[in-house]
Amino acid sequence: MSRLYDTVEPAVIDEDMLQKAVEEQGPKDEAGRIAKQEGIDFTDVTQLRLDFKNILKIDNLWQFKNLVKLQMDNNIIERIEGLDTLKNLVWLDLSFNNIEVIDGLDSLTKLEDLTLYNNRISTLENMDKLTRLHVFSIGNNNLGSLDNLVYLRKFKNLQTLNLGGNPFCEDENYKPFAVAHVPTLVYLDFRLIDQNTRAAAEEQYRYAIEELVADETALENKRIDQEEKDKEFSRQKDAYVENLNGPHLFDSMFLDDPEAPKLGALPGVDELLVVFKEKMVGICKQVFDHGLAEHAKRQREVEEFYACVQEAKIENKDMGITKIQDFNKYKKKAFADFAMMSDPQMLEDKVDEFNQEVTKLWDTLMGYELQLVDQLEDTIKDFERAMADMVVVFVEQVQGLISQIRDLENVHHERILEIAIITLEKYVKNELDDEIPEELRLLLVDKDTITNAVSASHDTHMLKIDNREDDIIQRANGWLAALMERIHQEEEVTRNRDRVKEINNFIDHLREELDNLDLQTGM
Amino acid sequence: MEDIDEGPSIVVETGSVDLQGGGDDDTQSAVPSEALAAVEELKEELDQITVEPPKVDLIPIIQVDENLPSSYKENNNKEKLVLQYAENFRRQYVHLYRDRKPLLLCPLNECGVEKFVCTTIRPTLLRYNELYDYDGCAEFVSDYVTFDPLVPPIELPKTMVSPTKVLKTQRGNCFEISTLLCSLLLGTGYDAYVVCGYATRETTLCDEAREICPLLKMKNEIKKEEQKKEVKKYSVKPPKDLRSKFILKQEAREVEAQRKEEEKRRKEEELRQEELEKPPQDELFGLRVHSWVLVLAGKREVPENFFIEPLTGNAFPTGNDSFLGIESLWNNNNYWVNMQDCSNGCKDLIFDLGDCTRWEYMFPNNEKPVLEIPELEMDGLDLEDDEDDEKEEEKNLDMPTSWVDALELSLTDFQSRCPQGKKTLLYKRAKLEKFAHYLLRDGMVTRLSIYHDRELKDLIQVKEWFSHRKDMLDLRVHNHRTGIVTEYYKEGRQRHLKEHLYKAGSPAAETDRTMIFFHHARVDGLVKREETPLEMTEHFLERDDFLFYRHVQYGKRQRRLEPASTLPSSNPRPILKIVDRFHRNPAKPASEDVAELVFLISEDRIQLTFHHQDDKITASTRDFLKPANASDKGAILMYSADMTSTFQVDPHQKSAKDLYIYNLLVSLVDQEDKTVASVRESEEEVREILNDRMAEESRSDLEISVYDTERNEKAKQHRVERELLQMEEKKRREEMELDYLAPFLAQIGDPERLMRQQALKLKEDCRADLKQRLIDEANLIQARFEKETAELQKKQNWYQQNQVNMHKDDEEEYLAFCSEAMFRIHILEIRLNRHKENAPHKYMALEQRLRTDPRLSEHF
Repeated sequence: MSRLYDTVEPAVIDEDMLQKAVEEQGPKDEAGRIAKQEGIDFTDVTQLRLDFKNILKIDNLWQFKNLVKLQMDNNIIERIEGLDTLKNLVWLDLSFNNIEVIDGLDSLTKLEDLTLYNNRISTLENMDKLTRLHVFSIGNNNLGSLDNLVYLRKFKNLQTLNLGGNPFCEDENYKPFAVAHVPTLVYLDFRLIDQNTRAAAEEQYRYAIEELVADETALENKRIDQEEKDKEFSRQKDAYVENLNGPHLFDSMFLDDPEAPKLGALPGVDELLVVFKEKMVGICKQVFDHGLAEHAKRQREVEEFYACVQEAKIENKDMGITKIQDFNKYKKKAFADFAMMSDPQMLEDKVDEFNQEVTKLWDTLMGYELQLVDQLEDTIKDFERAMADMVVVFVEQVQGLISQIRDLENVHHERILEIAIITLEKYVKNELDDEIPEELRLLLVDKDTITNAVSASHDTHMLKIDNREDDIIQRANGWLAALMERIHQEEEVTRNRDRVKEINNFIDHLREELDNLDLQTGM
Repeated sequence: MEDIDEGPSIVVETGSVDLQGGGDDDTQSAVPSEALAAVEELKEELDQITVEPPKVDLIPIIQVDENLPSSYKENNNKEKLVLQYAENFRRQYVHLYRDRKPLLLCPLNECGVEKFVCTTIRPTLLRYNELYDYDGCAEFVSDYVTFDPLVPPIELPKTMVSPTKVLKTQRGNCFEISTLLCSLLLGTGYDAYVVCGYATRETTLCDEAREICPLLKMKNEIKKEEQKKEVKKYSVKPPKDLRSKFILKQEAREVEAQRKEEEKRRKEEELRQEELEKPPQDELFGLRVHSWVLVLAGKREVPENFFIEPLTGNAFPTGNDSFLGIESLWNNNNYWVNMQDCSNGCKDLIFDLGDCTRWEYMFPNNEKPVLEIPELEMDGLDLEDDEDDEKEEEKNLDMPTSWVDALELSLTDFQSRCPQGKKTLLYKRAKLEKFAHYLLRDGMVTRLSIYHDRELKDLIQVKEWFSHRKDMLDLRVHNHRTGIVTEYYKEGRQRHLKEHLYKAGSPAAETDRTMIFFHHARVDGLVKREETPLEMTEHFLERDDFLFYRHVQYGKRQRRLEPASTLPSSNPRPILKIVDRFHRNPAKPASEDVAELVFLISEDRIQLTFHHQDDKITASTRDFLKPANASDKGAILMYSADMTSTFQVDPHQKSAKDLYIYNLLVSLVDQEDKTVASVRESEEEVREILNDRMAEESRSDLEISVYDTERNEKAKQHRVERELLQMEEKKRREEMELDYLAPFLAQIGDPERLMRQQALKLKEDCRADLKQRLIDEANLIQARFEKETAELQKKQNWYQQNQVNMHKDDEEEYLAFCSEAMFRIHILEIRLNRHKENAPHKYMALEQRLRTDPRLSEHF
C-alpha cells in the first residue's frame, strides 16, 4: 500500500504473526478445539491471508509447502520474493503493494490466478513458467506501452484479464489491441468480449497478428525440431554410437593432428584422403546401425524382464492378499466367539488356537515371500547372463568393425609414407614440378623427419580410434553393471526387506489386538 | 357313431356290406355247407367290391378362372414348339434309358394346359428387404405356404400350378413351392435351380420332430475361446512341487478311470436315447419323390453349392443325408438330367452343369461352360453325339418367356406371413409357434416351448419373443422347473431396465429378484441389482466416485400397530449393515483411498479398509465408533481419541492428525446418511419399476410406426378423411352434370315411378326436343350466314358505286372488311356443315341413352 508518510513501522513476517493468522483462519468449533489442542503444522495449511499487515518483505513462508491460496494484499511489499517453495500455489494476490518488477514467480508453475492490481509495474516479464495462468489482474499499474500485451500471447489458458487504470488505457486503440493480441481472452476489464468487438479488433490488427503468428509458428517448429533432434541424439547416446552416422570420427582424427594439413599437401594425398574418408564413413555407419539395433534389442529385453518380474510379484501379492482376507474372516468370527464365551478354560483354548493360526499365517506369508525370492533370484540370474552375453556380443562386433577402421588407417599410413618418401626423393633430386608449401618444405629435410611426421600423424589417428572404441566398451559395460546393481538392490534386497517388515508388522498388530481384547474380557 | 372315427365315405361302405351281410345271417345258421359256399361266394363278391377311393385326380376338377390371362389358358406357338421339343426329348430319353423313371417335363397347370416346367418359373424381385437374401426368402416361403404332401408319395405330380396361384391360395406341393422359391431366388440374383429327386420320408413330409429346433441350436454354437497364458522368456518358474509323483499319478489314473466310466455311461445313454428316437423303418425309402432348390456358388457371393429345403426353409450342404438322389433339375433357362450315380445319395454329385457327361441338358444354348471331352473317351457317348448334332440344327430354339404373371404380394400378406398369421412347428422336444406381428394383443411373435420328453408333456421352459411392445419387452423366458421368469428388454425404457429375473409366484417387492440395467444410460451407472427378502446387492460401473459394489443387509421389519394398508415406504425394513466397495482412485495415495466402507448401522460403527499400496499385501484399516450425538440433526459432533482404532501398513508413517481423523469422521457420518437415503431410493425405484411393469402388462400397448399407414390409427384416420373428401368432391362434380331428363320429369311433377305411358311420352318429348333444338341451331347458323352475306353484298355495292372517288385508306379498309367477312362466312359455312354431320349422331346418342336410362328402361 502506498502511503505518503511511512509513519507505521513495517512489520516482519514472523512465527507469531503466522501462528496467529493460521489459528484465526483455521477450523472452527469442535474441529478448532482439536486443532488447537494438537497444534497446526504450517505444512498442512492450504490457505493463508496476510493482508493489511504493513509487511515490507515476503519471508519465512518456506514451511507452507502445501499452500494453495495466498493473499498478501494491502501491504508495502516492494519485491516478489521468498515464494520459491510454495510450489502448489494456485492463487496469489499481491494487489495494493509497491511492486515495481515482476520477478520471482518461476517456481509457481501451478499458478492460475495472479493479482498484481495497484502496483508500480511498468513491464510484463518473467512469467514464462506460469503456463496455466487463467486470470491475470494488472490494473492500476504503470504499463505504458501496448506492446507489453504481446507478451501475454504465450498463455494458452488466459481468459480473464484486467488492465484498467494503466497509462496505455488512454490510447483509443487499447481495447481492440488487447482483444486482437490475446486470442484466448473472454473477459477484459470485467466485461465479456462480444463477437462484434472481437471481429472488429481482429480486422484492425490482422496484418500485425498474422506476422506474429507466423513468427510464433516458425519458433515453435524450430523448437519441435530441436527437441526431436535432442531426443534422437540422446537415443544414439544411449546406444553409445552418437556421431557415428557421419564423418565425425574421421574429422576429429584430422582435427587434432597438427601434421595432417602439412602432409595433405603431398601430391596424391588428397585423392587418398577422399577414398579413405568414404570407406571409413561406411564402416562408422555400420557401427552406428549395429549399435542402434543392439540398443533396441537390449531395451526390449529389459522391458520383458521387468514385465515378467511384475507379473510374478502381482501373482505373489494376490496370493498373500487372499490369505490375509481369509484370515481376517476367521479373525472376525473368532473375536465374536471370544466375546460370547464365559468359560475361562474354553476361552483360553480358543485364544491358543487363535495364536496358532496367527503363527501359521506368518509361516505361510513368509513361505510365499521366500518362494518369490527364489523365483526372482533365478530369473535375475538368467537375465544377467543373457544381458552379459548381449553386451559381449555387441562389444565384439564393435571391436571387429573398429579394427577394420584401424586397418584402413594402417593402409592409409603406409601409402602416405610411401608417397612421402617418393616425394622426398624427388624433392632431393629437384624433380618436383609443383610448388610446395613452406611447411611441407620444412619436413622434407631428410627421411627421418618426414617419417616421424607421418608416424606422429598415424599415432594421433590411432589414439582417436582407440579412444572411441574404449568409450563404447566402457559405457556398455558400465551400463550393464549399473543395471544389475540396481536390479539386485531394488528387486531383491529392498523388496524383500519391505515385505518381511510388513508381514511382521501385521502379525504384531494381530497379537496386539488380541492382547487388547483379552484385557477387556479379562476385566 | 362316437366310436367310429372314420369319414362318411366309410360309413356308406359299411352300410352296403351290412345290406348283404344281413341276408347271409339266416343262411349261416340254417345250412352251414350252403352257407359256407354262400359265404365263399359272398366273399368273392365282396372282394370284387373294392373300395375305390376317389382317385387322386389325375386331372383335378378344373375351375378355370375367367380372370386368368390368356397365357394361362393356352399355349402360344413358341410354347407349342417347346412342348414338342420336350416330347421329343422325353421319347429319346425313354428310349435310351429304359430303366429310369420318367421326367417331370410338362405337367398341367391350373387351367389344365400343358406347360413346360422351365416356363413356370417366373424370376421376380419383391420389394421387401427381408426377401433379398436366400434365408429370408426360404423362411418366408416355408412360413407362407402350407404344404400338401404328394399323393402317392412315389410318383411325380400330374399337375403343377403357377406360383401366382400358390401365393394366392397359400397351398402347394413341394414342386410348386420349390418353383415359387426358385422364382424369388432367381429374382434376387442367385444361381438357383428347382431339383426333382428323392428324399427321406421325414423331409418329404416336412416332419422335423426329430430335429433340434434351430432356435436352440444357435445357442450351442457359441464357443468358448480359451486363452492360453503365454510363457515369456523371463517368466518365473513355478514353485517346486513337493508332492509325491507316484501318488499324483495314481490319483490321476483313478480320476481318469472314473471319467471314462462316466463317459461310457453317457454314451450308452445317448445311444439308447437315439435308438428310441429313431424313426420307424420306411419301406419306400429312396422312392419318395421330392423337390427342393439348389443354389450354385458364384453369384451373390455364394461360396459353396447348397440345397434349400422349401418346406422348412432350411439350408443344407449338398452332402446332407436327407437328400437321396437327383433325377433332374431346371431353372428358367434350361433343363438338365442327372447322368451320375445316386446310389450314395447326393454326396458324390458334382454340380458342373456344363459337363454333358454328368448333366444331359435339353436346350443347346447352354450358358454353362461346356467341358471339352477328349476324343478318346467318346466310346459310350456316340449316342449323345448324335443328339448333339440334332440339337445343333435347332440351335435357334430358345426358352420362351414365362407364361406366369409377375408375382405380387401385398404388404399385409407379407406381414401376416403364415396363413391366418399363425404357424406351429414341432421339433425334437420342442414346440415352436410363430405369430404375425400385431396379431396378438400382447405383441407376441414367437413362442418356443421346450419339453423334457418327446411326447411334449413335461414342460421345462417357455420362451416368448415380442415385438413392437411399448414397454420394450423383447423376450420372456419362463423356466417351469425353477419357476423363475426372466424378461429381457430393449433399450429405451424409463429407468433403463435390461433384464428382470424374478420368481413367477412372488412378483411383489422385497422378494428374490435380479434386475440388470443399461448402465451407460443411467446416471448412477447401476448395472445389476440383486435382491432377497433380507438383502440387496448393487453393482455399478464407471462411476466418478469409484463405487462399484453395495451390499445392504436388512433386519426383520418391526411390527407396528398400524393399519395394514399403510404403504411399505412408511415402515421400511431396518437397515443393519451397508457395505460399499470402491475401485482405486489413482489421484489419492493408497493409504487414503478407501477400498471398503462398512456402515454397521445397528452397532453404530463405521469400518474403513483402505486400498493396498503397490507391492503390499496388507491394507490399512480404521474403525470408528459413531459419537453419541451423531444422529441429532445439526449437532456438533464430539470427538475423543478412543473412538477410533487403526492399523497402518507402514509403521514408520506418522500417525494421522486428530483433526484429519475428526474431519474424516464428520464426512463419514454425513456419507452414512446419504448412503441410507440412496438405499431407500433404490427400494423405492424397485417398487416403481414393479408398479410400472404391472400397469404395462395389463395394458400391453403396441408401438406403431408413423410410417405404418395400415395400423397407425391417426394416419389411417387422416387418410380415410382425405378419401371421404375426395368422394364428396367427386359426387359434387357428378351432380354438376345436368340430368337431361330433369325438365321433362319436372313437367309431369317428378313422379316416383314412371308409367309406361308417361315413359313413352317422356321419351318422345325428349327426342322431339333434341330434334327441335338441333334444327333451331342449324337455323340460327343459317340466319347468321345470311346476315353476313347480305352485309357483304351491301358493302360490295357501296364500293362499286364509290370506287372512283375513293380514298386510298377507305379502299384498304374495305379490303380488310371484305377479307374478314369472307372469313366469317367461311367459318359459318363449316360450322353448319359440321352441325349437319353431327346432328344425327347426337340424336342417336340420346336415343341410346334413353334406351339405357334406368328410369325408362323398364318400359322398353
